[in-house]
Amino acid sequence: MRKALLVLAVLAVVATACAPKTSTPTSAAAGDCTPSTMNLHTPGQLTIATGNPAYKPWYGGTSVAGSDWKSGKYTGDPHTGEGYESAFAYALAQQLGFTNDQVTWEGIPFGKSFAPGPKDFDFAMQQISITPQRAKAVDFSDGYYDVNQALIADNGSPAIGVTTLAGLKDLKLGAPVGTTSLEVIQQEIQPNVEPGVYPDLDTALKDLHNGQLDGVVVDFPDAFYGYADQIVGQFPPLSGGQEQFGLAFEKGNPLVSCVNQAIATLKSNGTLKQLENQWLQTDASVPVFS
Amino acid sequence: MASGSGPSPNVYFPPGGDSDPRLPPGSDSRWPKILGGGDSSARNVWIAVGSTVIFFGLIAVIVVRSPGWPEIKDSFFNGAEFRSSFPVILEKFVRNIFIFCVAEVLVLILALIIAVLRSLPGPVFTPLRIMAAAYTDLFRGVPTILVILLLGFGMPALDLQGIPDNDYVWAIMALTLVYSAYVAEVYRAGIQSVHPSQVAAARSLGLSRWQSMRHVVLPQAVRRVIPPLLNDFIGLQKDSALVYVLGVVEALNKATIIQQGDFNFTPLVALSLIFIAITIPQARFVDWLIARDQRKRQSSAAV
Repeated sequence: MRKALLVLAVLAVVATACAPKTSTPTSAAAGDCTPSTMNLHTPGQLTIATGNPAYKPWYGGTSVAGSDWKSGKYTGDPHTGEGYESAFAYALAQQLGFTNDQVTWEGIPFGKSFAPGPKDFDFAMQQISITPQRAKAVDFSDGYYDVNQALIADNGSPAIGVTTLAGLKDLKLGAPVGTTSLEVIQQEIQPNVEPGVYPDLDTALKDLHNGQLDGVVVDFPDAFYGYADQIVGQFPPLSGGQEQFGLAFEKGNPLVSCVNQAIATLKSNGTLKQLENQWLQTDASVPVFS
Repeated sequence: MASGSGPSPNVYFPPGGDSDPRLPPGSDSRWPKILGGGDSSARNVWIAVGSTVIFFGLIAVIVVRSPGWPEIKDSFFNGAEFRSSFPVILEKFVRNIFIFCVAEVLVLILALIIAVLRSLPGPVFTPLRIMAAAYTDLFRGVPTILVILLLGFGMPALDLQGIPDNDYVWAIMALTLVYSAYVAEVYRAGIQSVHPSQVAAARSLGLSRWQSMRHVVLPQAVRRVIPPLLNDFIGLQKDSALVYVLGVVEALNKATIIQQGDFNFTPLVALSLIFIAITIPQARFVDWLIARDQRKRQSSAAV
């Protein structure tokens, strides 16, 4: 009897993998921003997480040998330094004092960027819009890109020629899950037809080309990459204020302050603006929905 | 009693020594019941209660005192998030119910046809038997989510007149194809469990092959496999969530939308609770059916 109880107790402990992991984050003093003393996931390496596939124009170039990413018509490889986010990542790493080969990329499903607990990376860079709700789960860096949204459609779609938000209400639109694009559909258009919500951009585009969707909402720079025949129009900024992309860190990670300093420098010395001009096409002449 | 002596269907029975393998753990004294664990004297009941409380209590204490618990609690068991997401997810769950109910009806019909085809005797029907076998091999072999992706994105792309481009159609079609393969095997096991002497008897009474299948074999076969059929139905209900990959905004998709919008996993927990709430009563119902079947068998065997 006593033995049986003991066995049960041991089982209970084993079942919960008892010993708490001793992962006390090495709390570097704030303001101490050199790679050797920074709070890093892997010492001496800046580990950045993003999605796989990684889409143009955020990631581009031709796949590097040995990389998990595959460059294609719509996709790129973060290791190339081509595409806005990839170029930004390497500029940021340099600003922080890393060399290019000290940057490691980690492919993650989107959910991992905000899952609680220790992370397998230093921060996630995946066109993540900063919102107050999300900031409860992660720490965001300062914004590194102001993003607007646009509607793309194929020739023959009833969306072609529409100029008002009201005119979009009765169309079947789609967007990937977890994006500002989806928010625009839900909050700004408030359509009468339920939008299609897809695990990623790829599947949304597939349904667009199959004729199951009248249009897909994408980040404005995405609209210029031939995902669809036409850019129908761009959306006015969200009523909640200008949407910005931020880097997502584990809550309380002291690395944020170092990264913010670096972002501020890249902003003030014009690097970010130059990368935008180089990698992100936008066209002010695209009509804004009224 | 003839009906109990056929070859045992090999689909779902637990390994059970020399007692009837169709017994679920619990209706045979050699298998302990979940609660009590044997004879139910007061002392044993108290021991059962005590060990249960200690066992789960220890686990709870260790989990709650783990360093990550406050974070886990906030992002998986967040009260405010639960209250705001549960009703919206439940509302979309109606679509899952629609999908798995329509699919189940189609599955029961298609699978029966396949099982009967595969059980047809005689050399003439070899091509039909091969077809049925190939079908079950194919659709039991390919992961459900792949079938959904391939049909859902492939078929509308054919751009053929008359091929529907509605996501629901292809979601239901994919689930039907996959689950028919499993259910056909369950039916076939049932058909094979009817002793050949019954067919011989039916034929000697002048019934045709088809008539003996229809009036003698199938009624017994189907009744015998109702519990495993229900098990597969439960599986189908859960897999209805997979159709989110086609952009159908059903419960899982809705939960993911909230999860990724708010960076909080509570909506996924809320959806799990909905699934548990509908599947557990069915699982208990299956147990009850098996137990009832067993009681009947025992009482008729005693006559």
